Amino acid sequence: MTEPDHNTTHFGFKTIPAEKKVSLVADVFHSVAAKYDIMNDVMSMGIHRLWKRFTIDCSGVRPGQQVLDLAGGTGDITALFSKRVGPTGKVVLADINASMLQVGRDKLRDLGLVNNIEFVQANAEALPFADNTFDIITIGFGLRNVTDKDAALRSMFRVLKPGGRLLVLEFSKPEQQWLSKLYDIYSFKVLPTMGQLIANDKESYQYLAESIRMHPDQDTLKSMMEQAGFAEVSYHNLTGGIVALHRGYKF
Amino acid sequence: MLPLLPQIMCSAAETLLTRLIAMDPEARNRLARLQGKQLSFTLREMPLTIVLTATAETILFNQHNEPVDCAISTDLASLRLLRDPSQLTRLIKADVLQIEGDIQVAQQFSYFIQQLDPDWQQALSRYTGDALAHKISYLLHSLHSYLLLKQQQLEQLTTELVQDELQLSPTPTELQLFSEQVSQLHSSVELISQKIKQIQG
Repeated sequence: MTEPDHNTTHFGFKTIPAEKKVSLVADVFHSVAAKYDIMNDVMSMGIHRLWKRFTIDCSGVRPGQQVLDLAGGTGDITALFSKRVGPTGKVVLADINASMLQVGRDKLRDLGLVNNIEFVQANAEALPFADNTFDIITIGFGLRNVTDKDAALRSMFRVLKPGGRLLVLEFSKPEQQWLSKLYDIYSFKVLPTMGQLIANDKESYQYLAESIRMHPDQDTLKSMMEQAGFAEVSYHNLTGGIVALHRGYKF
Repeated sequence: MLPLLPQIMCSAAETLLTRLIAMDPEARNRLARLQGKQLSFTLREMPLTIVLTATAETILFNQHNEPVDCAISTDLASLRLLRDPSQLTRLIKADVLQIEGDIQVAQQFSYFIQQLDPDWQQALSRYTGDALAHKISYLLHSLHSYLLLKQQQLEQLTTELVQDELQLSPTPTELQLFSEQVSQLHSSVELISQKIKQIQG
């Protein structure tokens, strides 16, 4: 993915000044936060829960580990991790967006998960943690909204413990041509309409569809992770490549 | 294997077991001893490893190949035999069962599952009221004992049919008598063969 200019970046299909992306993305998520979970279930037909479970499986999490759930949003992945690391471990739910963090905090509290979870409002490009802090870092459906992805990956590499692993769960490029066509119709025709009906917000879901198309494909992201310093980078395509899980280690 | 199928299975198993554990008031105490332990289970026939993690409230299911406290690997045929502890050494020697790590963890998990006694009548009474829940529970119990009785009767009937009516198989007494006769015959033959030897010699 080539950036058009040094000081500009993508916001969906639009090109905007880089410094504006954070606030524009923030607007999108302030707008969708309240309906985020129900929209996820409707849009993915519930499959997002399995994608997240697959991420947990690939993390090989053990009781007592320190986990960072970046762009954790409404806390789905955090909830799965929190049960698995137990009272001796810790999960940090970090999101740049205060509204999403608030929804996540309320939801996790309602689930009774409070003891081993911390909430941090943080920018993925400059993580406010010491070097070598976490055993596992996950970023689920968040990386494509980050302005400077390379800086974010380097920042994650820094806070990861040696031997730790990064898992990037993100929309990607479908492997088959026919699936790609079907997926295009779904995301540009059906999705914005559903967004309009359920969350009364067509633009945000239009952005979602566009931002997915602008996100680097499987191999580009893999080489980006390698450039940031990650070793043994591999990816799994899920649901025909609509979503891909990238995994990299820090040694 | 269908993609994401292990995740569906783990998710379903986790939900089911969590419900069952929540129904057993004693389970929490027993689970406390297991908390933080991980047991992995691999079937030779299937290319996946299920990992059980015990927490304070429930047992979680995952699918991965990372190191755990105790790893069990076996095949479908010997799965049944695992319940009998006296068979374990034989299975390990025959190389159908492999256990790596702390075997106590495996025993504790197995003990916990066997001891699990969900009080489903209590859970049911929340929806149907106590009276109906009792009735349903009573009905199921009598159905169970009725089926047990019928099973016993069927076994008895089959035995009688085979031994007495159709005479396909001997009764225990007949069998004993027959084997006594065989022994007698054996000793007689022995005696005769001794005598023949004496005469020859």
